[in-house]
Amino acid sequence: MKVLKEGESEMKDKAKILVIVVLAILAVLTFYPFVIMLFISFKDISQFDHARFTLTFPLHWENYPIAWKQMSRYILNSIYISTGTVIGVLICGTLTAYALARFNFPGKMFFYYAIISLMMIPGILTLIPSFVLVWYLGLINTRWGLWLPYIAGGQIFVIFVLRTFFASIPEDLFESARIDGASELQSFWHIALPLSEHMVATLAVLNILGTWNDIIWPLLVITRDELRTITIGLLAFQSMYVTQWGILFAGYVIAALPLLIAFMFTSRLFIEGLTSGAIKM
Amino acid sequence: MLSQSNTKKSLLREVWKKKYAYLFMLPTIILIGIFSYYPAFSAFYHSFFQWNGYTPGVYIGWENYKTMVQDPVLIKSISNMIILLIWGGILAVTMPLFTAEMIFWLKSKKTGDIFRFLFVAPVVIPSVVGWLVWRFFYDPTIGLFNTILGWLGLPPQTWLGDPNIALYCLMFLGFPWVNGVSMLIYLAGLQNIPSEIFDSVIVDGANRFTRFFKIDVPLIMGQIKLLIILAVIGSIQGFTLQLIMTNGGPGYATMVPALWMYLNGVAFQKMGYACAIGVSLFIVIFLLTYINTKYIRSGTEYEGS
Repeated sequence: MKVLKEGESEMKDKAKILVIVVLAILAVLTFYPFVIMLFISFKDISQFDHARFTLTFPLHWENYPIAWKQMSRYILNSIYISTGTVIGVLICGTLTAYALARFNFPGKMFFYYAIISLMMIPGILTLIPSFVLVWYLGLINTRWGLWLPYIAGGQIFVIFVLRTFFASIPEDLFESARIDGASELQSFWHIALPLSEHMVATLAVLNILGTWNDIIWPLLVITRDELRTITIGLLAFQSMYVTQWGILFAGYVIAALPLLIAFMFTSRLFIEGLTSGAIKM
Repeated sequence: MLSQSNTKKSLLREVWKKKYAYLFMLPTIILIGIFSYYPAFSAFYHSFFQWNGYTPGVYIGWENYKTMVQDPVLIKSISNMIILLIWGGILAVTMPLFTAEMIFWLKSKKTGDIFRFLFVAPVVIPSVVGWLVWRFFYDPTIGLFNTILGWLGLPPQTWLGDPNIALYCLMFLGFPWVNGVSMLIYLAGLQNIPSEIFDSVIVDGANRFTRFFKIDVPLIMGQIKLLIILAVIGSIQGFTLQLIMTNGGPGYATMVPALWMYLNGVAFQKMGYACAIGVSLFIVIFLLTYINTKYIRSGTEYEGS
C-alpha cells in the first residue's frame, strides 16, 4: 500500500494523462470494427451507398427482426451445444480429478499420465481421423457428434487443474467425513466441490467460450441448417444475405451479443479466473 | 505358482476395494479411448495408407511422406507458416505487454479496471464476427481501406485478392493486436511482483524504462515464454482465419500446412495424405513444446509466495 502511494506521487500528472490517452486510442482502435459494424447494421441500401462508415438517420431497426429470425435458431443451437458440453466436461472432469487426487489405487499413475499426456496431442493430429470416426458412428448431423468429442477433449484441462486443487485440500476434512459415515460420492459432493466452486466456475466459463467460438468441428459435422451453431450459422447467413448489408451486419451484431451480455455480468469471475491460479506455467 | 496367484488375487482384491476410483474415472476413460486415443493412433496408422476414409485403404509405406517433400503447395505453405509464426511470436510479446504495462503504471484501480474490461470484452465476441468485418474492410469495391485510399487520391488495391499482399493483409488484421487474454496474463504477472523489489529500485533511482527491462521483464519471463509458445503452436495448428478469409488463395499465397491438410482430407478425399501432414505437424509441435519445457529456462524466475 505504501509503495502504491509512492508510485502515485512519483508519477507526474502529465505522464499519467499521456498513458490514459494512449490506452484510450488503443481501445478505440480495438473497438472501431465493432462500432462500424453497429453503424452499418442500421442502414438501408441507399444509406449504405452514400455514407458507409458513419452513423446515419433514420435508424433502420427493421434489419434486426429479419436477421433475428435466422440467427435466433443458431444461437439456440449454440446454447444447447455449449451447455451440454460444459455439463459433460464438469461431470467427467471433476469425478476423475477427484479420483486421481484423493484415492490410491493400482494403476493410478498410468491413468494419470494417460490422461495428462493428451494435453500434448494437438487437435490438428486427430482432426481428420476424428471426422472419419464420427462419420462411421453415424453422428454426422447430430448434436452428439459435437457433444461427445467436445467433452472428451474439454475434460483434460479441467482434470489437470482440479487434480492439483483437490489434492491440496487437507485430508482431515475427508477423514472426519468418513468417520461420520459419508460415502465417497458424498465427500466429493459436500466437501471437494463446494471448496473449489470458484475454480470450477472459471473452468466452466473457459470451456463455454471455447465451444461457442469453435468453427472447424461444427463445419465438418453439421451440414443441416437447423442444427448449425452460431459460428457456422453466421457463415451460412453471410451467403444468404450477401449485399444486403444492413441485415447482414445486424446478424453480425446479434452473433456478437449473447456472450458479451453474459460477460457484462460475469466479467469479474472471468477476469479473476484468467489471472489467478488456472493459467500458470 | 501359488504366490503368483496370491499376488494376482490380492491385486484384484485391491482393485475391488478401490472400485469407486475406477467408477469415477469410467466416463473419462471411455470418452478419451474413443475420441482421443483411437483418432490419434488412426492418424499415425493411416499416414502409411492411401485412404479415402470410406474403404479400408491400401498400404503404401512411406509414400505419403515422400509426396510431402515434393509437394510444391506444402513447401510454399511452410514458408507462409514460418512468417505467420514469427509474426505471432512478436505480437505476443509486444502489444499485450505494452498495454498491460500501461494499465499497471496507472496505479489507479478505477481507470485500470475500466481499460482492463474494455480490452478483455472483445475476447467473448466470436472471432468469426471480427473476421467478417475485416473481410468487408478489405473489399476491393466497397471496403474501408479502398475508401480511405480514394480520399487520399491513391489507386485502389485488391487486398486479399492480390497474391503479393494477401498474406500481409492477414497479418495486419486485428490491428492494434491487443489480445485481451494475453494482456490479462501479463497484468497478473506484473501485479504479482512483490512491492519490496520496486522499493529497492526506487531507492536506486532507476527510471521507468530501466525498471521495465531490469525487473518487469525478467520477473514475468514465465508468462512471456508461455504466451510465445502458445502463439507459435497456434500458428502451426490454426487455419480457421485462412479458411474464412482466403481459403489459402489467391493461388496458394496464404496457404498454411494445416489448411492444406484440411483441404486434402475433406475436399480431395486424400485422408491418408492428410494424416501424414497431421502427424508431421504433431511432431513439430511436440518437439517445440519439449524443447521449451526442457531447455529454455528463464534467467531469473521469481520464487516465492
